[in-house]
Amino acid sequence: MPLKAKVLIVDDEERFRLTLRKLLIANGLDTTAVGSGKEAIEELKQQPFDVILLDVKMPEMDGIEALGELKKINRGVEVIILTGHASVDVAVEIMRLGGYEYLLKPCPMEELLAKIESAYERKVARDERMRKAEAIQTDQAS
Amino acid sequence: MKDFRVLIVDDELDFLETIVKRLKRRKVDATGIDSGIKALELLESEHFDVVILDVRMPGMDGIETLREMKRKRPLLEVIMLTGHASVESGVQGMQYGAFDYVMKPAEIEDLLEKIRAAYERKALHEEKVREGRVI
Amino acid sequence: MLKNSGYSLHNLYPYAATILSIALAVVLWLSKEIIGGSVALVIAAISFLSARDLTREVIKANEQKCHLDQQLIQSQKLAAIGELSAGIAHEINNPLAIMGQETEWIKHLLKDNNIEGPGATEELRDSLQEIVRQVDRCKDITHKLLDFARKKDPLMQGADVNKLIEDMARLVDKEATQKNIKIVRDYRKDLPRVQTDPPLLRQVILNLLNNAAYAIGKDGVITIVTRQSSNTSIELVFSDTGCGIPKEQLDKIFDPFFTTKPPGKGTGLGLSISHSIIVKLGGRITVASEPGKGATFTIHLPAQPSRGEQ
Repeated sequence: MPLKAKVLIVDDEERFRLTLRKLLIANGLDTTAVGSGKEAIEELKQQPFDVILLDVKMPEMDGIEALGELKKINRGVEVIILTGHASVDVAVEIMRLGGYEYLLKPCPMEELLAKIESAYERKVARDERMRKAEAIQTDQAS
Repeated sequence: MKDFRVLIVDDELDFLETIVKRLKRRKVDATGIDSGIKALELLESEHFDVVILDVRMPGMDGIETLREMKRKRPLLEVIMLTGHASVESGVQGMQYGAFDYVMKPAEIEDLLEKIRAAYERKALHEEKVREGRVI
Repeated sequence: MLKNSGYSLHNLYPYAATILSIALAVVLWLSKEIIGGSVALVIAAISFLSARDLTREVIKANEQKCHLDQQLIQSQKLAAIGELSAGIAHEINNPLAIMGQETEWIKHLLKDNNIEGPGATEELRDSLQEIVRQVDRCKDITHKLLDFARKKDPLMQGADVNKLIEDMARLVDKEATQKNIKIVRDYRKDLPRVQTDPPLLRQVILNLLNNAAYAIGKDGVITIVTRQSSNTSIELVFSDTGCGIPKEQLDKIFDPFFTTKPPGKGTGLGLSISHSIIVKLGGRITVASEPGKGATFTIHLPAQPSRGEQ
C-alpha cells in the first residue's frame, strides 16, 4: 500500500541508513537520511516530516535527547525509536517524551513498514482533528 | 647450540639459498623450501621447531600458510619475513600467532636471536603441555 | 590469651596496660602495700577484659570489611560483565542490522519486475559484498572477544625490551612517515632483561603505537622512552602530540568497548586487552593526558628476573 508519508531516518551507521532509505523509497515513501541528531534537527527545521526513525545510540547527541529536541520543533511529528535492546525504563522515557514507539534492531521490513504506517495514520488523524478544532474556533469567532 | 630444526619458506630462491647457507655455517639445522604448499607437505613428514616464513608469496601467501601451520601444529613457532612493502602483513601475522617478524634484508645476528627466542618459547610450551597444563 | 594463634609483639600492645598493672601490683606487694597491690591487680583484670573485648571487636569489624570488600569486587565484576555483554550485543547488532537490510534489498531486487539489466546485477553484487564485509566485522569482534575472555596465561621468557619496542616501532614507522609522524626513541642503555611474554607485550606496544598515530592523524611526534624506575621495575613510556583525552574519558579509556572512533572502525577492545595483558604480566599501565596536549601511556613492568607465570 503506497503511503504518502514523508520519512526521516536518523542513524550514525552510514550503510544502514542508506540501504534503509533505498528500501523505504522502493515502498513509495519519500525518505531522507541523516547521520546525527544535530543534522536531524536542522532537517526538521527546513521541512515537515511525518515520521522519524531515530536510532537510540549515537555519538554526540543520543536518541532520547534528540527525541526531546525534535518534538520541540514539531510536536506533530511521530518518532519511532530504533534500539538494539528493549528496557522498560527506556520505553517509559520514550513515551514520556512523546515518542510513538520503539522497534528492535535488526527489524524485518514488514514490521517496520507496518509501524511507519500506523504512526503516519495516527498523525493524519490528529492533524485532521486539529484542523477541525481550528475550523470550529474560526466559525465561532466570526 | 641446541639441537633444533629450522624451516625457511620463501619463493625468492637467491634469498632462500643465502639464508640457509648462512644458518648452516652457524651450525643451525636449516632447510629451505620455496612455497607455502610444499612447506605444509614437508611438515607432515618431517619435524621442525621454528619456521621462517615470507609473507609475500605467489599461490598460498604467507598469512594463509601461517594459519594452516598454526592449525596443524599449534606448538610450531613462526617468524614472519616481511619486506618494506608488506609491513602490514607482519602485523597481521603476529595477530594470527606468529612469534615475531624480521624485515628483509635479514641481519643474521638478529635472525639467530629471534630463532633462539622462538625455540625457547616452543620448549616452554611443550613443558607446559607435558605437565598437563592447558595452553 | 597467648594461646591464640598469630600473636606477635605487635598484638600485645592493647594488653600493655594489663601488663603494667600486673607489674605495678607485684611492685606494690613487694613494698608491703597490700591494698595498693590488690587495687593494681583489679585494674589489671579490668584492663585485660576490656582489651580482649576491644580486640575482638576490631577483628570482627575487619572480617566484616573483608566480606564487604569481596562483595564489592564481586558486584563490580558482575557490573563489568553486564556492561561487557551490553557492549558485545550492541557491537554485533549493528552489523546484523545492516546484513538484514541488505537481504531485504536483495529480496526486493529479485522480485520479478525489479531486475533489469547490468545495473541490478551490480546492486546485487554490492549488497552481497556488504554482507561479507559485515560478517568480517562481526568475526573481528568475536575473535577479539574470545582473546579477551580466554584465560591466556602468559608464557614468560627473558626479553630485551628495547629491542622488542624497536621492532614494533619499525613496523609503525613506515605508515607513520607517510603521514609525517616522527617516532623518537629514547631507550635507556643497559635496561635489564625482563621476564615477560614477548608476543603479548608486542601486542600491547603495537596497540599503543597505533593509537598514538591515530590520535595524531597527520604531522606529529610519538616519543618512546624506556627507563629503569627502581631496582625491581622498568617503565616504558609512549607519548604523542595528538588530540589528547578529555578528563571525563580518562578513567573509561581502558573499559572494553569504550571507543571514540566512528562505527565500524575499531572495536574499542585494544586498550582493554592491553590493560589486562599488562596486569597478567605483573605490571600496570597508566595514562596522563590533557585535551589538545597529547597523551602519555606508561607501562610499568617488574624487572626482577623471577621465574613463574602470574
